[in-house]
Amino acid sequence: MPKIYRNPDVMWREEEKFKAQAFEGLEKGDDVQNIGTSVLYSGGTMLALNVLGTEIWKKCDGRKTDEIISELTDKFDVEPAILKEDVTKFLSELKEKGFIYYEE
Amino acid sequence: MKNDWILKAPLTINWAITNRCNFKCRHCYSRDDPSEELDRQNLSHCIEKIKEAGVFSINFGGGEPLLRKDLFDIAVFASGRGLSVSMNSNGYLISSETAVKLKESGFSKVGISIDSHIPGTHDDFRGVKESHKRALKALFPLNEVGIETSISTVICKINCKDIDKLIEMARQNNVKHLNFHNYKCTGLGYSNKDELDLSPEEWRVFYLEALNAKQKTSDIHISVEDPIIASLGYKDGSSLVKGSVCGKLSLNIKSNGDITPCGFIPIVIGNILNDNLSEIWNNSPVLDMMRNKTPRGKCQKCGYYSDCLGGCTARALALTGDINNPDPHCWYESQ
Repeated sequence: MPKIYRNPDVMWREEEKFKAQAFEGLEKGDDVQNIGTSVLYSGGTMLALNVLGTEIWKKCDGRKTDEIISELTDKFDVEPAILKEDVTKFLSELKEKGFIYYEE
Repeated sequence: MKNDWILKAPLTINWAITNRCNFKCRHCYSRDDPSEELDRQNLSHCIEKIKEAGVFSINFGGGEPLLRKDLFDIAVFASGRGLSVSMNSNGYLISSETAVKLKESGFSKVGISIDSHIPGTHDDFRGVKESHKRALKALFPLNEVGIETSISTVICKINCKDIDKLIEMARQNNVKHLNFHNYKCTGLGYSNKDELDLSPEEWRVFYLEALNAKQKTSDIHISVEDPIIASLGYKDGSSLVKGSVCGKLSLNIKSNGDITPCGFIPIVIGNILNDNLSEIWNNSPVLDMMRNKTPRGKCQKCGYYSDCLGGCTARALALTGDINNPDPHCWYESQ
């Protein structure tokens, strides 16, 4: 299974205020999927990620897909099968946009 | 409508680094601006502040940025701090040697202003003979050194029916990005609006044709950024915010460091040399008003308001005196 890396040309930052808001919402069981907690920027393309997307993005540092899913399963209260589907789909979208790359 | 998702800092700063220019454009918004220029030392200090605030990119404009002899040094400093650096230029001063220096100093993108596929039409609009020839000629060395090029076209009476020809001109010059900018009524753009600006119905026709061309064109990225196209059923999925991006994703800095919400809104909300960018970004009453507009007039009953948020704030302000008024370019009348 290949390792996943963030494209170093992508500039990104977390939005601390909204990150705190999202984690507070998670504690209370609120739906926080529409709260953007980070922004990615590359070649004029902008992307806002929610809390799950941001956590996946931050783990694209040489980890493999299974490792990312396993670590997120411990952190988020989501069915493992659903999480696996979400993570795989999200990584595929990031790859298509050139925001991440794979390396054997 | 309260807009709660405000980023902690702008993503982009549009920086009119000088007001000096070698052109006499008929729509120019900065020709009469007497503001002085920050020197290189102060500029470096300001760039540090911008980087610390979390900004990703600087786009230099003006005036003609290449008239600043220290542009390359400034770009070296900004790119060395991890900022993405680009510029808009008329292309007149870009030779092969200049292109190499731009690349070496960290420019990743350069936009060249070309307003017509017809040389004489462009030259008349820009007020300088052979400017069309020189603009096209600038594209080749920029592409050669690996700088991403784009053509920026100000849409007005002289070119609104030439969409296909403008696309073909971009294609023939190996340009992958074509930006259609809507006409702004600021500075000479205001003085010459009766002659150059389109009527709301003409804008509707232009955008229908431009969006159709965008859909059909796969080899060139065509940018048609105007909030009012929401009423044509078009939603720009690439933007992070609704309505104007000014004051939500970007800010403008003038040559003397004064900060304005955008280059076409002459309201100074601070100065980058003396003020804290984050403080201004988070607490400016002007930015707050722009982010939380109150629909007036026909916008009050319009079903598209939640997407377009009244259209271009600069145009509403310039032509009606109130940012909350409907964008004067908007053609849509709800039933």
